Amino acid sequence: MPAPLISPSEKSYITQGIESDCRADGRGRLEYRHLVLENGLLSQTSGSARGRLGDSDVLVGIKVEIGDIEQDQPDQGRIVCNVECSPSASQQFEGHGADELNNTLTLALERFLCGPQSGLDLAKLCIIPGRQCWVIYVDAMVMDCAGNLLDCIIMTTRSALFDTRIPKTEIQDLGDGEYEFEVMDDVEDAEPIGNWDRLPLAVTLYKIGDRYIIDPTIIEELCSEVTLTVGVNKEGSICGVQKGSNGSIDPSLLTEMIQTATTLGKSLIEQLDAKLIDDDKAVQEKRMRGEPVQKLGFFAAVF
Amino acid sequence: MELRILSPVSPVAVKKNDQKRMDIDGEDTPVHLVNPGETITTDQQFMRGHGTYADGENVVVSAVAGSVERVNKLLSVRPLKTRYTPEIGDIVVGRVTEVITKRWKIDVNGKQDAILLLSSVNLPGGVQRRKNESDELHMRQFFAEGDVLVAEVQSFYVDGSMGLHTRGFKFCKLRNGSFVNVPPVLVQRCKTQFHTLPCGVDIILGLNGYIWVNKKPQGLPENNTEEVDTTIMYSNTNDEITYEEREVIARVCNCITALAKRYMHINDTVLIYTYEASLVYTVKELLKVDVIDSITTEASQRMHEA
Repeated sequence: MPAPLISPSEKSYITQGIESDCRADGRGRLEYRHLVLENGLLSQTSGSARGRLGDSDVLVGIKVEIGDIEQDQPDQGRIVCNVECSPSASQQFEGHGADELNNTLTLALERFLCGPQSGLDLAKLCIIPGRQCWVIYVDAMVMDCAGNLLDCIIMTTRSALFDTRIPKTEIQDLGDGEYEFEVMDDVEDAEPIGNWDRLPLAVTLYKIGDRYIIDPTIIEELCSEVTLTVGVNKEGSICGVQKGSNGSIDPSLLTEMIQTATTLGKSLIEQLDAKLIDDDKAVQEKRMRGEPVQKLGFFAAVF
Repeated sequence: MELRILSPVSPVAVKKNDQKRMDIDGEDTPVHLVNPGETITTDQQFMRGHGTYADGENVVVSAVAGSVERVNKLLSVRPLKTRYTPEIGDIVVGRVTEVITKRWKIDVNGKQDAILLLSSVNLPGGVQRRKNESDELHMRQFFAEGDVLVAEVQSFYVDGSMGLHTRGFKFCKLRNGSFVNVPPVLVQRCKTQFHTLPCGVDIILGLNGYIWVNKKPQGLPENNTEEVDTTIMYSNTNDEITYEEREVIARVCNCITALAKRYMHINDTVLIYTYEASLVYTVKELLKVDVIDSITTEASQRMHEA
């Protein structure tokens, strides 16, 4: 089945609705749907999270493995991203229908995570300089598509990276420049990723008519001519900007959109971090009291 | 700008709230729900119907997740969530996916796309007019790809796909409104699928799960005898819609989505009750889970009393 279609009258109804700040479901232009977030649900990963933004469902798994160092960055670890849209997420994804979208989303995720703009302490991930380092594999799977996939993926990735623990290593110097290392198996000793709180969050603005909105449904996405994704970190600095779709943005509108995205992003990071830290505290308290911590995972009610 | 971040809830906790809410259909017979792979019976006397298969000698196993139905000696399982199964005479809302020689392919949420023949639509110049070549070349002036229309199921083809027709004053291209998608099993067959709610909004409850909520377009014919004015029936431009009308349409859409989320049957009565229960909240509050719970519970209680 080809990409979803929309009729001219629906498009005009939605555009006029956005003009008067009353979208098809009553939200304002800059309002999100609700987010259901849970992390630590996959036991075989180093970190995981599942986020449902409205009806869009994304599962992110993080695996931390030992790999060879890249020669042009001999004292840093690295991050490898991959996004895959499950064919069950939408009828247009069956067969090879999702390939182009997978590529776009993977490149967009790499733009924000791979490199110094991610804010992570990559030097901490280095085990033996010039030889071995920790490689963080980020795998995101889209299980249900209801609009605004990139924002949902990045929010869930941030939550998964918060949940990730890297095992400690002990390095032995054998002399002659030779080193050997051993990975500690103790789960308690594993450390969180250095500077995870400096990771950016993305806010994608969709331009429809003369206005722009956030968090569209699929039908609203079909009405937009051009999108702008801005990666913002908790200090309010911009970590990446990407324009999507085939349209164009007037430069004065561009400045305004970046400004709006930055304000939104900063507030979003505060709320998300507060929730992640609160949940983690609750889990730690439960563990200290000896109570079992039960992760719902895929047994959670869908609402 | 506030983002509501919620934690996942166990379905057992959700079910406890349901116990307080009475079953909307008021059925006294207990419903036997089965999962795929669950044994229904090992009794040899039953014949196997739709949704079941034989696993070994006498064992009847369910192939889908649904409720068991027994008619005399026939056991079948009706699935809870499935594609739309058409009947002749059903009113459906569909979206045009393809335009081919002398016909349109329409997506109606079924196992296959439905077919709308050029000879089954109203053309300008009278109902009985013969189709000529110029009509075939100008099919997109009537329905182009992406257009939403309402039609009636006329027949079935040998491969199981359905044939639609739009002959009638009620059937036309849809505009002035908003599209909602719900599971097809939830839409109940009523005397008519076209309703006007007391709040002034028109709805078309397509039996295939596609619902159209709109403000009534001006100039539509009232009955069959009037001349078909194709500029109105096939128009693409919306009428002027005020902010208040837009809010009412958004509220009705949210009510329909709320009923679908709670897996309740959708008909015009329960929709009116849900709408009235929702008036205490603002339109965007209707997206919250607790608000959905409260308005649907109130609506189902009123349905039960009626």
